Amino acid sequence: MPSHAISIQNLTKDFSVGLRGLKLRAVDGLNLEVEAGQIYGLLGPNGSGKSTTIKIILGLLRPSAGHCQLFGQPCAEVAARRSLGFLPEAPYFYRDLSGRELVRFYARVCGVPRQQIRKQVDSVIELVGMSEAASRKVGTYSKGMLQRIGLAQALVHDPELVILDEPTAGVDPLGAADIADIIRELKRSGKTILLSSHLLAQMEGLCDRVAILHRGQLIREGRVDDLLTQADAQSFVVEGLDPAAQFKVERAIAEAGGELCRVEKTQRSLDALFLEAVNERAQAAAQEVSHD
Amino acid sequence: MIDSFQRMRWIAANTFLEAVRQKFFNAVLLLSVALVVGSVFFQQFDFGSSELKFISDFGFGAVFLFGSILSIVLSTQLFFNELDNRTALTLLAKPIHKLEFLAGKFFGAYALMFCFTFSLSLVLAGLLFWRETVLMGQLAEGFDRGRLIRYGDVFVFGFIQWIKFGVIAAMTLFVGSFAQTNLFTIVVSFFGLVICQLQYIARDAYLGMAAGAGRWLVQGLSWLFPNFQLFNIGDQLVYPVEEPLALVTLGLITAYGLVYSVAFVLLAQLNFRSREL
Repeated sequence: MPSHAISIQNLTKDFSVGLRGLKLRAVDGLNLEVEAGQIYGLLGPNGSGKSTTIKIILGLLRPSAGHCQLFGQPCAEVAARRSLGFLPEAPYFYRDLSGRELVRFYARVCGVPRQQIRKQVDSVIELVGMSEAASRKVGTYSKGMLQRIGLAQALVHDPELVILDEPTAGVDPLGAADIADIIRELKRSGKTILLSSHLLAQMEGLCDRVAILHRGQLIREGRVDDLLTQADAQSFVVEGLDPAAQFKVERAIAEAGGELCRVEKTQRSLDALFLEAVNERAQAAAQEVSHD
Repeated sequence: MIDSFQRMRWIAANTFLEAVRQKFFNAVLLLSVALVVGSVFFQQFDFGSSELKFISDFGFGAVFLFGSILSIVLSTQLFFNELDNRTALTLLAKPIHKLEFLAGKFFGAYALMFCFTFSLSLVLAGLLFWRETVLMGQLAEGFDRGRLIRYGDVFVFGFIQWIKFGVIAAMTLFVGSFAQTNLFTIVVSFFGLVICQLQYIARDAYLGMAAGAGRWLVQGLSWLFPNFQLFNIGDQLVYPVEEPLALVTLGLITAYGLVYSVAFVLLAQLNFRSREL
């Protein structure tokens, strides 16, 4: 199997706008390579070409120029999509089917062998934590449940590459943390994940590499650690210093030729605070129930 | 190839299930049944024809009218629901050809039209049987050779109408494949239906024309649209007539309808293949 799950060369996509057919360039000479087994983040403001790029990868749009391959196969070929699972942004599914019927339907059209369908369907429904609600109609699901069942349909045929377009859009922080855990689990099982999201904090914690798009062009690309690390600056996290000791440290830094840029209190992220508080309350409630 | 048919089958089954659960289908089906049953009470408008003939003509008219509406509106809804709700994105991101998607939608709508025509034919046959039984008791001398009605013919008529509804559904999918809105698709498809109903006029016109470019043009146009008058076989069915419908004719009409259905689905595929979602 090729080492690149996705390989994009000089990809350009123009849309005709208006009666005079003016060209709007959504993607402009994009080059991107996603190695197998990675979580790869696609970042960019609205209109930066993320969704267009994803649609080209999925074979839903044809590029105006350039090439796109999935595991060495041209992405326009239907066969290339056998190893691909996709969760669209704000997914909408057939409302009158139950969650289990929906996932079973996608398993069938993806060609999952008949004798494996039940096992596969149950397995992905359990993975996304929808076992209890799987018999309910999709029309009754909340946004978070729709994202979870969407994730289940994307995974039901055990694809090598999973493309998730805003998988946590409209989901509460607890649900988003659960989805992030599922994505990490997918990576552990050897899948490649292409992730598009506006939630930069979550992307930072999840992705191995990221690409930042702006007006259809790639403006940054690389490993998250490499992109975020400031090579010429260090930070020390220190506890229990009184003002006199702090003064000594600052003087020592100056004597050693360093420059103290700022001294600040260490803060947790709001996400972490929220998750901790809610989980504490949930555990306390569970304990009360067990005592009763 | 087998995989491809399987995928079409699953898409068709899902389309069918989705449509059956729609209020529109159930409302039209109920209205149609009510109209067919109600024909018993409309006999003051019978314009001199016999009661049984009036009921069968009324029933055939209901099958044609509501079947045509259902074919156009449901095919449009089932196709555009997928595009508007973006379920098509999820589905076409799977290893599925666009032709399989379109054919699946078509077969789903076709299966639904089968249920519709069969249900209505069943109701019509039941109604005719009831009225004929009552009339046999009242007017025994008119039925000295037994029952007049050939009940199997009611279902033959239903079958031929079902073939026609397939052509209408395929034509609607073709219009939908290049249209941007479902309203446009419904309006253009209804115009198409009217043209197909009146297609025989073009046929009569070119038969009366001298050979030349004008005749070829009119002849070409008449081939472009199927002639729906061929499916109006009600007068040769149900009651004893001098020239009953031959089995060969039935087969030819069926083949004619199927050829146009396949042609329209393939034309829809040509448009839809290059459509950007």
